[in-house]
Amino acid sequence: MAESYLVEPDVGFIKDLAKLGGQDLKKCFQCATCSVACPISPDNKPFPRKEMIATSWGLKDKVLGSADIWLCHNCGDCTTLCPRGAKPGDVLAALRAYAVTQYAAIKPLAKAVQDPKQLPILMAIPVAIFLILGFILNLAVPSISWLNFAPVGDHLWQSDYINNYLVDIIMIPTLAFAVISFGLGLKNFVADIHANALASGKTDKKTIDPAGFVRSLIRTVPTIIKHAKFNECGENKDRSTSHMMVLFSFVGLFIVTNCFFIAEWVLHIEGPYSQWSPVKWLGNVSGVALIVGGALMVKKRMDNSDSVTSYWDWSLLGLVLTLGLTGMLTEMFRLGGLFGISAIIYAFHLIAVWSLFAYTPYSKLAHLVYRTTAMVYQEYIEKD
Amino acid sequence: MDKKYGVYICTGCGIGDALDTKALCDVPDEEGLPCKTHQMFCGEEGLEVIKKDIADGTNTLVIAACSRRVNYDTFRYDGCIVERVNLREGVVWSHQRSEFPALTDEEKEDEDNFDRVQLMAEDYIKMGMARVEKVTLPEPYVVENFSKKILVIGGGMTGMSAALDASATGYEVTIVEKEAALGGHANNWRKQLPVAEPFEDLISPVVGAKIAAVQADSNITVKTGTQVARIAGQPGEFTVTFKQPGDKLEYDVPFPLPDEMKVDETGKELDVDKLAEKYAEYNEGKKDILTLDPDGELYGAVILAAGWRPAKIEGDEYAHLSYGESPDVITNAEFEILAKNGKVTRPSDGKAAKSVVFIQSPGKGDEDGDFEFAGAVTSLVSLKQAKYVREDYEDGKAFVFYQHMRTPGLNENFYKSIQQDPGIFLTKGDVISVSRNGDGLIVDANNTLLGEKLQVKADLVVLAAGMVPATADNPVVNMAYRQGPAFRDIGLFKGYVDSNFICFPYETQRTGIYAAGAVRRSMTVEEAVEDASGAALKAIQCLESVNRGVSVHPRSGDMTFPDFFFQRCTQCKRCTEECPFGALDDDEKGTPKPNPTRCRRCGTCMGACPERIIGFADYSIDSIGSQVKAIGVPSEDDYAEPPMRVLGLVCENDAYPALDIAGLNRLSYSADVRFIPVRCLGSVNVIWIKDALSQGMDGVFLLGCKHGDDYQCHFVKGSELAEIRMKKIGDALASLALEEERVAQFQIAIDEYDKIPQIVNEFVASIEEMGPNPFKGF
Repeated sequence: MAESYLVEPDVGFIKDLAKLGGQDLKKCFQCATCSVACPISPDNKPFPRKEMIATSWGLKDKVLGSADIWLCHNCGDCTTLCPRGAKPGDVLAALRAYAVTQYAAIKPLAKAVQDPKQLPILMAIPVAIFLILGFILNLAVPSISWLNFAPVGDHLWQSDYINNYLVDIIMIPTLAFAVISFGLGLKNFVADIHANALASGKTDKKTIDPAGFVRSLIRTVPTIIKHAKFNECGENKDRSTSHMMVLFSFVGLFIVTNCFFIAEWVLHIEGPYSQWSPVKWLGNVSGVALIVGGALMVKKRMDNSDSVTSYWDWSLLGLVLTLGLTGMLTEMFRLGGLFGISAIIYAFHLIAVWSLFAYTPYSKLAHLVYRTTAMVYQEYIEKD
Repeated sequence: MDKKYGVYICTGCGIGDALDTKALCDVPDEEGLPCKTHQMFCGEEGLEVIKKDIADGTNTLVIAACSRRVNYDTFRYDGCIVERVNLREGVVWSHQRSEFPALTDEEKEDEDNFDRVQLMAEDYIKMGMARVEKVTLPEPYVVENFSKKILVIGGGMTGMSAALDASATGYEVTIVEKEAALGGHANNWRKQLPVAEPFEDLISPVVGAKIAAVQADSNITVKTGTQVARIAGQPGEFTVTFKQPGDKLEYDVPFPLPDEMKVDETGKELDVDKLAEKYAEYNEGKKDILTLDPDGELYGAVILAAGWRPAKIEGDEYAHLSYGESPDVITNAEFEILAKNGKVTRPSDGKAAKSVVFIQSPGKGDEDGDFEFAGAVTSLVSLKQAKYVREDYEDGKAFVFYQHMRTPGLNENFYKSIQQDPGIFLTKGDVISVSRNGDGLIVDANNTLLGEKLQVKADLVVLAAGMVPATADNPVVNMAYRQGPAFRDIGLFKGYVDSNFICFPYETQRTGIYAAGAVRRSMTVEEAVEDASGAALKAIQCLESVNRGVSVHPRSGDMTFPDFFFQRCTQCKRCTEECPFGALDDDEKGTPKPNPTRCRRCGTCMGACPERIIGFADYSIDSIGSQVKAIGVPSEDDYAEPPMRVLGLVCENDAYPALDIAGLNRLSYSADVRFIPVRCLGSVNVIWIKDALSQGMDGVFLLGCKHGDDYQCHFVKGSELAEIRMKKIGDALASLALEEERVAQFQIAIDEYDKIPQIVNEFVASIEEMGPNPFKGF
């Protein structure tokens, strides 16, 4: 057996998790109903029982570095069946939220994302960047109308107010910032989950073979696309529909954005683009799906009294709905000829898009990367 | 009483269909007794028939119908002797005609044919008639100096609660407390476990309010700084001598001679005179138990609430816990005093103890047992004390390592509330060691819920020592009983005071003395207070039975008591020694002195007596012996192939009900067995067995309660004593050239009725294999 483990509970960790939706974790009495109930928990070292005890003992290092907390898809079977109301599903969700902070490249930013009081500041950042950079460029490169509060013309569109070049100049580094943030976080994350798996005997592979890891990634992608893990859930199975809608609409919108980026920067075709363009269709369909999927998620959260919904969850749902609604409304008001209103909504849309890029590694949306990584890792140690 | 007999054979419930009731009536007819039949004696019309006969002078009735365990009140006639012959459950239901067909007319013509079931019914009627001839109506035993006062020993939470409960129902109570003040251990607590809804939070100790209530109660007299020197006499008229702790009185209770002093140098038992001399020497300065203290106070019943002391942690098995070695390893009782006096600190240097480990089980090795005398209460106390750590320090941490976390009843709510504290950590685990770590301690544990070897740093380690009942150290009650001043140690109760923990709570092995609280088992205040009510009710039951001359328990209401024919007593002392309840004292010659109100009417003395001089009005050597003799034993003179005849002596408490339930469920067993219910297997006198065998019966078995660790005997030792006697009877059988296996004893519980057919049939089959009793027909 392993060496003795010196237990030094971190009471602050327990209290912090309570704020993130894990307030019932101490109710656990270790019956392991959760681990039995969980449809996606592996047979070897199943979760979430061990996470529940480690968390209620405040063993932060033990639990945050575990890939298992990310394998959970929060379907809630465990929470529904828990005889003590300890809500293991929500505890794992809280742990993930905590882990996002833990692995964040800029920890204060992660803390701010979790704190509703910091929301105005977080929103003010993109506003400031746009205004400051817009004014500077207006002065420095007057040949281009970077930022124009009162453009004239019969058929205006948002680029006449906030130039697409300005948008791209800001968004591309923001995206790069997100990617770098993730990269830094992932480096520690993968090291920790591997060390944890080794220590708990889940794997005996000393090092990770990159080729094998990529093979596992390729095998995992269909699982993610098909939402296979979601569909194994007993309770709240219909979550997979809304999640699929939101995920696929993000993918769709990402494709659309790239198409228009190429159109503008490579082909030099200026927008707005024809409503008959297939790319536009994809954009509109994705926009609608994003709103519907987001709304379904909100409804689901409101209906489900078993689970806790914290600011961590609401902030992401708010962002999703804001993105969808502001995007679609910008287009609709533009088509309706109300260019001023369209531009104002567009400004909000840009704030949302910027937040999406900049704050993803620090928000609940970070699961996109961490969960995928954890699933790939699990696939790797099990099958490769 | 001039007996006027009447035999009533019911034909209802299938009896008339299965049996030839006319032929049954021939049985009393031959004896010249009137016999009546009715299709439903328990109905209005049937009862009218019986009542009319009683009005006409019939006073001795044999009612052959259902079991005596049903329609109990229907066939109860005060002033009459009533015998219930069990034709329904015992004959027709348990021997269905489909399996035991009646003789056809053709078969009847051949005299070698016989109907087993009909024979059985006839025998039972004969047995019933034989019994009523031998029994008499009981008359109540009345004590001379009846007192209605209750004595409560112990002035802690339990004793005070019992006193208040008894007082509330109008009884006068005296509390004796050896300490200078009331309250006991509860005075030393910082907080108390919850006692009422919602059972979530610790409360301030309620002992103060309890003391005030006792002091305000005019029915309660409190004697602090006082002990019981002796309790003499019997329930209803206990003579109690009190004393100050440490005093030596002539009425201090004498102790029986230890076994090693009862023999001479060669190991031979001393004679009576020598024993009396030794006894006087051993108890010099003390009056014999039979001398009553003229200054003693009279009480009717006693409640024993003497409480507990913390168990000592000592010996090699606890060496790994560093208790005694490190001043910072203490017991829960020591921790409580520490917490009562201020913030929780380390005894070694007085520094704040912010990390405290509570160890519930000694651990080390394969054993998962808790500390001795622990229980749910020690689990709950660890949770309570863990909370103290959190109350004292914002950053305090309390760890509880347990093998068993017991929080019965609504204490579950308390457990949940403790669990919610972010600074309290609970896990199952084997504690391996407690060792020094700098100026603190480190606790090692294996197999925890966290799944590995753990170490926890601790400022203080608290061990969950159990609660040792006061009666483990000291008799406390100091009864002037020949069997000794303490409750008899039967090797099962570890000093706890009980006679049957499951079936008869509060009952001790001494009638009239009822136990409550930690002398019964380790328990919380909440449980102790409830226990106190139970014991108070038992004490009241005792008073209200003794005053009417009836038995208290378990034969509640029984007016009979053992009667001795002293002229023939050989002073063998077997009755005095075997009585499970110490009801008999003896004088210096060894002649027993009965104390009828101490008696539980089990008849163990009657079973023990080799001279057969002990009996009850309605239950005697003769009454059962006559029933045995009434059983027909067919021989080859009667039939070409006579059936076997087996006697079953059946404990009426569990085995007889099991037989009835077997009948109710139409389970069938051999029709060659005749059952006689007995009060307890302890009352079975071997003469009955010898009688049965010498009249040609082929086998005898006893059916009674389980004995040993999980005994179910209502009289503690009855079935065990019977087993010892049955083993001894083997020699006697051998001298008659009979196989030992013709006598057997089987154990059965009341719910094991389904085992009846197997037990009975296998025994009968084994007898058949041995062949008939050679004495048959003589």
